[in-house]
Amino acid sequence: MAELAGFQRYQLAFTARLRDPQNQPPLAGVPDERMAVYEEIVFNNLFESVSACFPVARKVLGKRRWLKLNQAFMRDYSANDPLFRSIPAQFIEFLQLPAPGLQQLPPYFISLCHYEWVELSVASAAAAVIQEAQPAVDLGHGRPVFSPSMQLLNYEYAVHRISPRHKPRQPESTQLLVFRNADDHVKFIELNAVTYRLISLLQDQPLSGRQALTLLANELQHPQPESIIEFGLSILEDLRSQGVIIGTQD
Amino acid sequence: MATISQIQGTGLGLKRELIPQIQSLYGQEQLANIHFVEIAPENWISAGSKAARQLDWFVERYPVVCHGLCLSLGGLSPLNVDFLQQVRAFLHQYKIPVYTEHLSYCTDGFKGRQGYLYDLLPIPFTEEAVHYVAQRIRQTQDILGQRIGVENASFYVAAPISEMSEIDFINAVITEADCLLHLDINNIYVNSVNFGFDPHAFLRHIPGERIIYSHMAGHYRQTPNLLVDTHGENVIDPVWDLLEDAYRLFGAFPTLLERDNNIPPLGVLMHEIDKIADYQSKASQRSTAFQHAAELMTG
Repeated sequence: MAELAGFQRYQLAFTARLRDPQNQPPLAGVPDERMAVYEEIVFNNLFESVSACFPVARKVLGKRRWLKLNQAFMRDYSANDPLFRSIPAQFIEFLQLPAPGLQQLPPYFISLCHYEWVELSVASAAAAVIQEAQPAVDLGHGRPVFSPSMQLLNYEYAVHRISPRHKPRQPESTQLLVFRNADDHVKFIELNAVTYRLISLLQDQPLSGRQALTLLANELQHPQPESIIEFGLSILEDLRSQGVIIGTQD
Repeated sequence: MATISQIQGTGLGLKRELIPQIQSLYGQEQLANIHFVEIAPENWISAGSKAARQLDWFVERYPVVCHGLCLSLGGLSPLNVDFLQQVRAFLHQYKIPVYTEHLSYCTDGFKGRQGYLYDLLPIPFTEEAVHYVAQRIRQTQDILGQRIGVENASFYVAAPISEMSEIDFINAVITEADCLLHLDINNIYVNSVNFGFDPHAFLRHIPGERIIYSHMAGHYRQTPNLLVDTHGENVIDPVWDLLEDAYRLFGAFPTLLERDNNIPPLGVLMHEIDKIADYQSKASQRSTAFQHAAELMTG
């Protein structure tokens, strides 16, 4: 930064105090009760934005540790996005910094926060341009087209089952699918590893349902590929009925 | 497309909570005094398909103005040009003719990034700050290709290093930046109590011809000497008196009600909007010279 003007040095002392009222000195000539208005408003805004997005993470951590973590977010993190909506995503970025708030966080904590944030982000994501898709019919011969809001999620912990009374003791590989349906509701679907792989294949390559399932049967070295294909088609049909698959392309 | 000359009469700050009520009562006499609505671009830029559909609905029916929160005109970090480009595209996409911001700052450049603090912090009123802020307003106007309005902000801490009064600071910035004034009537009152000055005297030094529109709002009385600008209460009588005085001085200018917290049903807000309309109808028309000046200035 270029050399600061006098008013900027004052501003910097002002914001330093807002970021860390417990350790930064008060400003000379500024009444404490007036400064306290800013200290409270600025912190509470941030705290409420974060807390609203992570109701489970907040409860799992407990009131006191959650408060301390948010104070550290205020003190140590430099937010770079002007949109209020981005605060939860920036909080996750903060959690991934070395020793956020010098706290020992539970090993599943970042995954849990990410899972809670995804719901918000999928709800508010701009609508992608929906590809041309026939309402369709044959998911075996056509290339299934997924809802543009769909995301595959892969966690080391069963994040969707975590609660204050159910804190995971060990990792449990977990695959989920999230999407926004036609009514703008966010839905999560728990997947098994095979279905997760099937959807990944269809996302990554231009394959028909049958081609993807044949590949999958090969990968699994299944003795009866036809049974995998049949079973897989019924899964795709189910995803279509839920609105995850919105049609097919030739 | 809405033009600046369509920003007239009385308006309402658009909150998500109010949208269903406005949509269901649209066209009815009860809402006749909503002539324009205001949104914060920070809440609507890339806000998803549902928000986009809602905004389309409003743009088709009302002139819309944008009132920003996070540009940080007095901030320590470089002006966020990427964000301003987004604002520019947003204004263009929704054909929004007006963009205003606060005479405040919300970034401190912490760790070489913007360092958003997401609130309106007070700029010390110094000579250097005048030039700094005016230059950033000019830069903003260059990027947007239009004049912006700047709002007199409410605040709670007077910087001991200030070299001039708030009104002198506002006038100096506006003159040097050659921008418009977004006059917040409630903020004049809040600051007059918080810092002990005469709000009516303040008003007399306002450059009336540069007012693009004004805000009315309520505040929270924390102590007799400390008002907090919460936008969560009804407008109080001394603020109505100030509005009346302002109309008497400058003629009736467009005025919008802000209510951001503790939001009552729309019908209750309409009483306050109707009351603004009432004050406007009793005031003289704004001189056409003022109107022309405002229009030319957005050129």
